[in-house]
Amino acid sequence: MATIVVRDLWKAFGDKEVLRGIDLTVDEGSTFVVLGASGSGKTVLLKHVIGLLRPDRGSVEVNGLDMSRLQGPALIEARRMFGMVFQGAALFDSMTVFENVAFPLRERDRRVPFGEVRDRVVESLRVVDLGEDVLDLWPAQLSGGMRKRVALARALVADPKVVLYDEPTTGLDPITADSVDQMINQAKQRRGMTGVVISHDIASAFRVADRVAVLYDGRIAAQGTPEEVRRSEEPYVKRFLALWFEKQ
Amino acid sequence: MRGVRAVFEGFGDLVLFSGETLAWTVRPPWRAELLLQQMAAIGVGSTFIVAVTGLFAGMVLALQGNHAMRQFGAEGYVGGFVAIGLVREFGPVFTGLMVTGRSGSAITTELGTMRVTEQIDAMETMAVNPVHYLVVPRVLAATLMMPVLAVVFSGMGYLGGYLIAIYVSGIPPGPFIDHTRSMVEVNDITHGLLKALIFGTVVSLIATHRGYAATGGARGVGEATTRAVVMSSVAILVLDYVITFLAIG
Repeated sequence: MATIVVRDLWKAFGDKEVLRGIDLTVDEGSTFVVLGASGSGKTVLLKHVIGLLRPDRGSVEVNGLDMSRLQGPALIEARRMFGMVFQGAALFDSMTVFENVAFPLRERDRRVPFGEVRDRVVESLRVVDLGEDVLDLWPAQLSGGMRKRVALARALVADPKVVLYDEPTTGLDPITADSVDQMINQAKQRRGMTGVVISHDIASAFRVADRVAVLYDGRIAAQGTPEEVRRSEEPYVKRFLALWFEKQ
Repeated sequence: MRGVRAVFEGFGDLVLFSGETLAWTVRPPWRAELLLQQMAAIGVGSTFIVAVTGLFAGMVLALQGNHAMRQFGAEGYVGGFVAIGLVREFGPVFTGLMVTGRSGSAITTELGTMRVTEQIDAMETMAVNPVHYLVVPRVLAATLMMPVLAVVFSGMGYLGGYLIAIYVSGIPPGPFIDHTRSMVEVNDITHGLLKALIFGTVVSLIATHRGYAATGGARGVGEATTRAVVMSSVAILVLDYVITFLAIG
C-alpha cells in the first residue's frame, strides 16, 4: 500500500526550475532513498512532502492527504504523522537535549505527566545510543555525530508514521554513519515506519533503501530497487554510480 | 524604481505578518511560560539600562529647563517642564529606542539564526506554528512591558531632574513639586503610555518579522538585524510625530 504518492511535481524559484515533473511512490513501511548531487533539488522535494513548500504544479499525497493543498490547522494536524531529521540537525539552540527531544511530545499533548515524557525521552535517546548524561547538555556542547543522533531521537520520539531524513550521514565519520544507517533500518523493521532518505552518500543509500531514485536536473533519471538502479543504462546514473564504485 | 517597489513589498509583507500574528494571538494553546520568559527578557532585562538613561535624561532636562527659564524668572516651572517632557515624549521615545537596541536586535538575531539553521522549519515539521510559538510571546511581551519601562524611565528621569534642580540649580523643592502637580494631567500620562504601548507592538513586530524572513547565513542575519534596528528607530520617531499631531494637532 502506498503511503506517499508524488505526481508530476514542478517547482521553480524565480527563473530556476528545480523540480521538473517528479513522479514517485513510497510504499508503507519501506525506505525510499532519493540520490542526487548537491543542488539537484532533493531537499526541495522533501520539503514538498511535509508541506513546507508548495508546488507550482502537481501534488503530493501522504496517507491520502494532499499535502500540497492543505492549509492552516489541517496542515498542522497532518504534520503530526511526520518526523524529520534535518541535514544540520536543526536542534533548538535555546533548549537542552531533554527539552529538544521532549518538544514534539509536549506540543502534541501538554497534559502528559512529566515523568512519562521523561521516560519516553530517555527511551528514545537510548535507541540512538545516548545515555541520561546528555539530557542537560546544550546543543552547542554536542559533537556533530551526537547532534545528528539527538535529532534522530527527536524525530522518532512521538512514533511518527513517516520519517524524512535530509542527508542523515553527511559530515559523519564512517562508524557513526553506519550506526545512523542501522537506526534508520531499526525504525523501519521494529516500528514499521515509512522512511524517505535524501542523500548523496551512495554507500548509505544501498544499506538502507528498499527503493532508490536518482534525481538529476530536476527529473528522476532512474528509479527502482537498489539492484535495478545499479544496472541502469541512463548515462548520468552510470557516471554517478561509477565514480563511487571506482573509489571503492 | 526597484527600490521603491521593494519598500512597498516589504511594508506589505510586514502588514500580512502582523495580521498573521494577530490571528495566532487569540488561538489556543496559550503558552504563559513563554510569555513570562519574554517579559523577563525584554522587561526585566532592560530595566537597568532604561533606568540609567532615564536618570541622565531627566538631569539634562532639568539643566536645560533651568537655563532657559531662568531668563524669565520662571525656574519654579522646571519641575513641570521635566515631568511633561518625560511623560509625554522622552519616556516612550527613549524607552522605545533603548528596547530596540537591546531587545529588538536580540530578537531579530535569535529568530534569524533559527531561520537560517532550519530550526524554524524543524518546528513546523513538529506540527507547531512558529508564529504562534516564537512571535506571539515576543510581541505580547514587548507590548506589555514597554509602558512599564516607560514609567521606570520617567520615574528615574524625574528623580534625576529633581536632584539637579534642587542640589545643583538651587531651585526650592516646594515650587518644583507644586508646578509638577499643577501642570501634569492624567491625559499626559495616558498619552505617554499609549505611545509606549504602540512602540512596543511596532518594534517587536519589525524585529520578529526581519528575523523570521532572514536568509543567507550569518551575513543575512547581520543585515536583517541592522535593518530591524534602523526601521524600528525610524518608525518610533515617525509614529511619535503622528500620535502627537493627532493628540494635540
